[in-house]
Amino acid sequence: MLKALAGGLFLGLAPGRKPAIKVATLAALIGLWFLLTTVTGAVTGGRFPSPAEFWTSLVQINTRGYAGAGLVSHALHSVKLVAMGFLVAIATGVPLGLWMGWSRKVEALVNPVFLIIRPIPPLAWIPLAILWLGLGDAAKIMVIWFSAFVPSVINAFTGVRNIDRPVIEAARMLGTPRWRLISEVIAPAASPMIFTGLRLSLQASWTTLVAAELVGALVGVGFVLNMAQQDIYPGMILVGMLTVGLLGWGTTVLLGMAERRALAWNIAARD
Amino acid sequence: MGSISFSHVDKIFGPQGSGVKALDNINLDIADREFVAIVGPSGCGKTTCLRMVAGFEAASAGEVKVNGKTVTAPGPDRAVVFQQFALFPWKTVRENIDLGLRNKNLPLAERDGLISSALKLMSLESHADAFPHQLSGGMQQRVAIARAYVLDPEVLLMDEPFGALDAQTRVVMQEELVRLARRNPRTVLFITHAVEEAVYLADRVAIMTRRPGRIKEVLDIRSIREAEGWDRHPKIEDVMDLESFVHLRTHIWKTLREEKDFQHV
Amino acid sequence: MNGQALPLKESMLLGLLSLLLFLGLWTVLTVSGIVPRQFLPTPLEVASRFFQLLTSPFAGATLPTHLAASFKRYAYGVLLAAAVGVPLGLLMGWFRLLDDIVTPIFDGLRFIAPIAWVPFAALWFGTGIGGPIMIIFAGAFPPCLINAYRGARFVEPRLIEAAKMLGTNDTRMIMEVLLPAAVPSIIAGLRVSAGLGWQSLVGAELIVAAAGVGFMMVQAQGSVQTATVMTGMIAIGIVGMIIDVLLRQGEGWLRRRRGLEA
Ligand SMILES: Nc1ncnc2c1ncn2[C@@H]1O[C@H](COP(=O)(O)OP(=O)(O)OP(=O)(O)O)[C@@H](O)[C@H]1O
Ligand SMILES: [Mg+2]
Repeated sequence: MLKALAGGLFLGLAPGRKPAIKVATLAALIGLWFLLTTVTGAVTGGRFPSPAEFWTSLVQINTRGYAGAGLVSHALHSVKLVAMGFLVAIATGVPLGLWMGWSRKVEALVNPVFLIIRPIPPLAWIPLAILWLGLGDAAKIMVIWFSAFVPSVINAFTGVRNIDRPVIEAARMLGTPRWRLISEVIAPAASPMIFTGLRLSLQASWTTLVAAELVGALVGVGFVLNMAQQDIYPGMILVGMLTVGLLGWGTTVLLGMAERRALAWNIAARD
Repeated sequence: MGSISFSHVDKIFGPQGSGVKALDNINLDIADREFVAIVGPSGCGKTTCLRMVAGFEAASAGEVKVNGKTVTAPGPDRAVVFQQFALFPWKTVRENIDLGLRNKNLPLAERDGLISSALKLMSLESHADAFPHQLSGGMQQRVAIARAYVLDPEVLLMDEPFGALDAQTRVVMQEELVRLARRNPRTVLFITHAVEEAVYLADRVAIMTRRPGRIKEVLDIRSIREAEGWDRHPKIEDVMDLESFVHLRTHIWKTLREEKDFQHV
Repeated sequence: MNGQALPLKESMLLGLLSLLLFLGLWTVLTVSGIVPRQFLPTPLEVASRFFQLLTSPFAGATLPTHLAASFKRYAYGVLLAAAVGVPLGLLMGWFRLLDDIVTPIFDGLRFIAPIAWVPFAALWFGTGIGGPIMIIFAGAFPPCLINAYRGARFVEPRLIEAAKMLGTNDTRMIMEVLLPAAVPSIIAGLRVSAGLGWQSLVGAELIVAAAGVGFMMVQAQGSVQTATVMTGMIAIGIVGMIIDVLLRQGEGWLRRRRGLEA
């Protein structure tokens, strides 16, 4: 299930689309936007911003700032929190998943607790995190960690369980010591699945961060959205949403580059 | 030194008592530097025999010994060439061959020398930095063999190593293996379905029965090969035309056929 | 991997041990006062709060009433996502032009976290039932579309050729060839949608809502009632699990009926 989802969400529905149609679609969309908001006025500025209003908001947040800071510092703050939560989650989740995959005992020990915690959606941790850690960065890092942890563990675990037995046996036949077996055989063999997990983790990190910042924050893109909502300021809402999308896209591209580098052997083999 | 001995070995898969008996009272002694091939019907337990020597599987009864010591775990003194190659897809050819040497903690210079000569032996020099998926099946098989050979193991265990190859590549590999085995003899346990291959390569051929696998007959090929001077012929097809070869092959065929017919009655 | 599966007895024992360890650690942390009760009540306190809330109201309603309000929004949101996503996906799988037009828009939007639709949702549909439904829709829609699309797009070409040879028109092709062929994929997508929808619901209720479990949790957080917050988490977890189990059963039943599984 997770795998199918990751494939659908991140590999693109159909690569290699004709660019002409893409451009035409985009142009038509922008034309429609202009037509509905500015030319005919069918959609009023109180519901959705016109291109001009959007532009004004964008200029405003970049020059005078909005919600206490400029767009760049809001964005940087959010990226920093996502990066920290995501890194803590994969630094803990991937090794745990590998270990659970390797040892049936560890699996039997960890699984029950995991089964209890897993059905609770990560976003449901937000109130508890705020109670415990307040509205600052720590609470956000905690919920991001929770949300990104689960996909990391599950996929690393599945990755190890799916390794071909002969590959492990070949390594043991060559007298490979334990730590080298883990770093040079188990981890690389599981790495395609690990990266699937990382993509899901990254996506979960952004969803959680935006939600947490909407619930309560002092800075960040989610906070911009929150303020814009309270000010009933559609232009700024659109700026915030596009920033969220852009940041999600950018970090996903970065992860994709890391994946292509790490899995050069595998990607070529798949093609 | 690299002798192998099976004494009264049984193997039962599944729960003791109600499981499937795969091997029944296997007795076989392989001398140091001897090349023994096992042939037998599919599912008779050939792979299981090999895996017990490798240390991947424990005997249910009896003992498997290498150099007089009971096998307990896998190790680089018994290199395995797996039927499905089992190369590490994320390592280049060179890194695949290197892993076993690094595990032995050999210095870099020595490893480089060994890898170069292994690559040369297997005609893989130009593909040293390729990943396995960039190689043909025959090349991958040669990497798997090089990875095992380079360790200079006392015992070489090969499970249908040429099973996945096309007929031409297969012949080339067989001839290469014969050259290697004669030049640098070592203990080899070789599993195959192909009767010709067994007769061509081995010093002795063990024929197994259907499940539960037993050893039905062990044929001495070496004395005949030496008496008839097979090694004077560099090409496998010339050897296969010799009357002594045809005779042995037919004998093994008939023995295996009896197995099948017995089943059908 | 490392050896065979553990015997059932041993794995149950280890499982029990880990649950006891979990509850034990929790109890020790709270009873000993290492963590203030106010921030982490004991397991017993959480359990008793859970049962208390089944009958006595908090934030305007009892737990079952809150859950019912949540579930109503959730059901509307997911059904709407399926009703739009599945047909659109099927159509995209058959008509190339539609595919070419929708895909870039979809590809552009999918990087915006569904929860970021909250301000517009509130602006357009209010915070009562419309806003949350739109957010649930945003979360649940992509898998519906993607799986229907993939199911239709990757139908065995021979089936399509056979249908074409028989002179089947577009409508009939979609209804009688693509849809049945895509059913397993659609069902799998619906299950993913249901999970993501539930997750979005929680987010929506935390931010904009005047009823529902999420609302209850935010209220409890505001008045530092940790046991109530944790009760909400447990309730959300239980309902989410029930939804998943039911859908799994449904999926299994459907697959068996179609002879996809023994
Ligand atoms: N791990 C296992 N669990 C249960 N049964 C097994 C296992 N491994 C092998 N067997 C059974 O033991 C018997 C012997 O298997 P083995 O793989 O040794 O046969 P083989 O002679 O190598 O066959 P082939 O020529 O087809 O490779 C078979 O009946 C097989 O089903
Ligand atoms: Mg075999």
